[in-house]
Amino acid sequence: MVWAIFGTMIVLLLLGFPMMIPLIAGSLIGFVGIFGGFSQLDTMVQQIMAGIRPASLIAVPMFIFAADIMTRGQSAGRLIDLVMAFVGHLKGGLAVATAGACTMFGAVSGSTQATVVAVGGPLRPRMQKAGYNDSFILALIVNSSDIAFLIPPSIGMIIYGVVSGTSIAELFIAGIGPGLLILLLFSIYSYIYAVRNNVPTEPKSTWAERGQAIKRALWPLGFPAIVIGGIYGGIFSPTEAAAACVLYALILEMIVFREMDLRTLYATAKSTGLITAVVFILVGAGAAFSYVISFAQIPQQILGAIGIDEMGQYGVLFTISIAFFVGCMFVDPIVVILIFVPIFAPVVQAVGLDPVLVGTIITLQVAIGSATPPFGCDIFTAIAVFKRPYVEVVRGTPPFIFMLLSVAVLLIFFPQIALFLRDLAFGY
Amino acid sequence: ETWRYAFEEALEEVQGKFAQKFKEEVEANSDHEIQLFPFGTLGESADTMEQAQSGILQFVDQSPGFTGALIPEAQVFFVPYLLPADQDQLVEFFRTSKTIKELFPPLYADQGLELLTMFPEGEVMMTTTEAVETPEDLNEVKFRVMTNPLLVSSYQAFGATPTPLPWGEVYGALQTGIIQGQENPAFFIESTKMYEVTDHITRAGHNNFTTAVMANKEFYDGLPDEDKEVIQNAIDAAFDYIVEYQTGLTEESLAKIMEAKPDMTITELTEEQREPFKATAEAVEQEFLEVGGDQAQEILDQMKADLAAVSEGGGEAAEGEAATEDGSTAEGEAAADEAAMETADEAEEAAEGEETGN
Amino acid sequence: MTLDDKHAPEPDPDVVAAAKAASIDDDDIDDSKYVSGLPGFLGVIDVGIARIEAILLAAGVLLMAINTMANVVGRVVGHTLYFSEEVNQALIILITFAGISYAARHGRHIRMSAFFDALPFPLRRAMMVLIAVITAAAMFLLTWYSLDYVLSQASRGRLMPALNIPQWWIIVWAPMGFFLTGLQYTLTAIKNVIDKDIWLSTSTLEGYDDSREEEI
Ligand code: NA
Ligand code: NA
Repeated sequence: MVWAIFGTMIVLLLLGFPMMIPLIAGSLIGFVGIFGGFSQLDTMVQQIMAGIRPASLIAVPMFIFAADIMTRGQSAGRLIDLVMAFVGHLKGGLAVATAGACTMFGAVSGSTQATVVAVGGPLRPRMQKAGYNDSFILALIVNSSDIAFLIPPSIGMIIYGVVSGTSIAELFIAGIGPGLLILLLFSIYSYIYAVRNNVPTEPKSTWAERGQAIKRALWPLGFPAIVIGGIYGGIFSPTEAAAACVLYALILEMIVFREMDLRTLYATAKSTGLITAVVFILVGAGAAFSYVISFAQIPQQILGAIGIDEMGQYGVLFTISIAFFVGCMFVDPIVVILIFVPIFAPVVQAVGLDPVLVGTIITLQVAIGSATPPFGCDIFTAIAVFKRPYVEVVRGTPPFIFMLLSVAVLLIFFPQIALFLRDLAFGY
Repeated sequence: ETWRYAFEEALEEVQGKFAQKFKEEVEANSDHEIQLFPFGTLGESADTMEQAQSGILQFVDQSPGFTGALIPEAQVFFVPYLLPADQDQLVEFFRTSKTIKELFPPLYADQGLELLTMFPEGEVMMTTTEAVETPEDLNEVKFRVMTNPLLVSSYQAFGATPTPLPWGEVYGALQTGIIQGQENPAFFIESTKMYEVTDHITRAGHNNFTTAVMANKEFYDGLPDEDKEVIQNAIDAAFDYIVEYQTGLTEESLAKIMEAKPDMTITELTEEQREPFKATAEAVEQEFLEVGGDQAQEILDQMKADLAAVSEGGGEAAEGEAATEDGSTAEGEAAADEAAMETADEAEEAAEGEETGN
Repeated sequence: MTLDDKHAPEPDPDVVAAAKAASIDDDDIDDSKYVSGLPGFLGVIDVGIARIEAILLAAGVLLMAINTMANVVGRVVGHTLYFSEEVNQALIILITFAGISYAARHGRHIRMSAFFDALPFPLRRAMMVLIAVITAAAMFLLTWYSLDYVLSQASRGRLMPALNIPQWWIIVWAPMGFFLTGLQYTLTAIKNVIDKDIWLSTSTLEGYDDSREEEI
């Protein structure tokens, strides 16, 4: 059944079916195979509902909405002008700024999808204009957004901590090192890319011009203030910060800048709803598919055959890495963590691995797998929001996957990348 | 045959321990195999409950609080200071309660479920960023509770601002200060690391987290008698096991917390300090009677009778259970009638009060 | 990306910024230009449904923003709206299921078209018929079983804990959404059979050029 499921999914995907069909077909085959008929398909519907229902997902449509309002109006442009005033003259400066903004926003908002939209949305056209190739831009945005998994607060780490009984505070700190290392690698790659493709730079801004840019960006600087100050200041949850951004964007664009009328507001809300639906039906169908994988205990079957008990520390870490990477290529990260962590827990303990290190490696693999084709929410979100073909969204991915996997390997051989800060903070 | 059993916690938490023991017993005494599905692997609590109703799962563990959306009477377990703080009395209540053995099963049966047992998971404690000794200390405190009207009223009555929040956001919200408190049993505070983001644990003794194990009714009714017996025996064995397992679990969990975070303060409120908290229970009880469904009154009365029985006859019953069984039942019934009359009077008074109050 | 045409050109930096700002609005869907694939009276109903879907989408998103902010304000003044989360749940289900049909109507569902695009025209057209037929069949199957699910939830009497309303009220959009989506794909299959061109939906032509719309 396993081969029938994955085979059918890949074939339907390649034939050009709407993306929900491979996912629905995968779960259909599973349900029919497990229950010997259609009798339990109402549970498949239940799981589709369960997939789209979580309260934290509300941040996604809210950030899509806010970003769309900001981009149609002036807020986004003014913020980007401010960034350009400081980095426009540097080779690869805009790309590095984009990677940094994605990392920071993703870290704070806790939602990689929201990051793709809120940061990638406004910055992508500016990068295009600056001369970057679109598939580089898309891959940069999607992969930088996924660094968010590693930098606190991270939902993936919280779930791992709860399921494995590991200190969440320690996990949070351990994620920072690898997260920054990845950002560094992405920045270096962006610089090399800009040099090799001869991306032009802008003339260096004078301090007077920079002052002007700051002045013009004063109102829109309220957005980072709301997101960062609001969330770390304990005023908003990430979801609420997203809604606050919507409200603030409406105030700016409708009242302060007078850039948006009610008709445009309606069109923006409708377009947000449309993008949300297109992505969320895939989230729902993906949840139904995850259910099948979980119910049929497919991971247990596969992993049971590998004989992980015989391996040493490195063998276990590599097996875990591969399992999570492959799992997240097809299934939602949270579900993968929930299913896999208990399976691996005994062997992790048996070979004496630090659960914080394991958690960091798992979180990294989850981030990599989520940005890796064929299935991934961030990929779907990028397709829906940027209206670019699937292939183009994933075409620029390989160098990024390579860098991420290098960090994963480094982490296995040099755990101090993750544990240094932890040991420092907790006095180990 | 393979049977599937889903529960709301991780494998190494109380529900998971119960499920593991149940699996072990069933597999040792029959040819059946049991697959365990911990928290989240088949969806949330409400999802697995529906799957048990539709027969995809044979067994499910769901806390009555979550069952409230389906069986409103089950919310009785959220009425504060109803269950005894004393562990022996509590266990005796779960063993003997007529409410659980006789009144609840038909309500669960209406939902296609066979109620196999209910068991306590541990005393519910508050973890907060500021110390709590009186209800006044909860003023302005945004306190995370499950989305349940009775929990909301309980904490409103305590003076806090109840703030429902999805479980996944609680840790982060405590860390950034959106909320300043939440409640759970000690083992759960330990395993979910809630102590990392709060500084005080308060034992007000207001409740004990209760949970229920059910089977799909059609499945269960269709089983041959020997299988039913295997299941019942396994449930009994798992119940005994979990009672044993829990002895000291709370203290162990608290000790682990203190080890991980030495500057955590744990305060057990004195009887005197609990009085003002207890005084608020009456209002929540009234609310239960309003939202607790058709049989709310009956359930509450019987529950009080059961509890009266264990608190009065507790010591003797423990010594010579078989000999005094008949006697204590009679006692229980007498107490039930008394309690029923009392609450009826109280309800009347309250109703009058409300009328004149408005 | 076209330049913004909202204002007469002025050398004002704000306007320049507005012009430079990327806009997603150049492919907003104009509902008044939507032409139904159905003939006569049925077409009128279809256009009406399309309008309702659009309004539900926009209203759902706006209400979600208002509801979420109201919860923040409530918490700050000490009265948390403890039903707020459930309202958002209801809205996200509404948006998703009103939206999948609206997306099908306008050929907006995400697909991987690289191999499809490489096929010769007649094969591509046949393939599109097949895709539309199978997708429609899957949608109708889900319509049936989501109806089944809604009815069983109704018979169980499950309530939303905070809103205290029957849970099936908020999931009833699922069978409707699946049905209308199935209908759109059925019409798309028919349109591809009878028309000489290739259609992504009854109103969206599959493109040959590299323009944005049809590839998603
Ligand atoms: Na993060
Ligand atoms: Na993926």
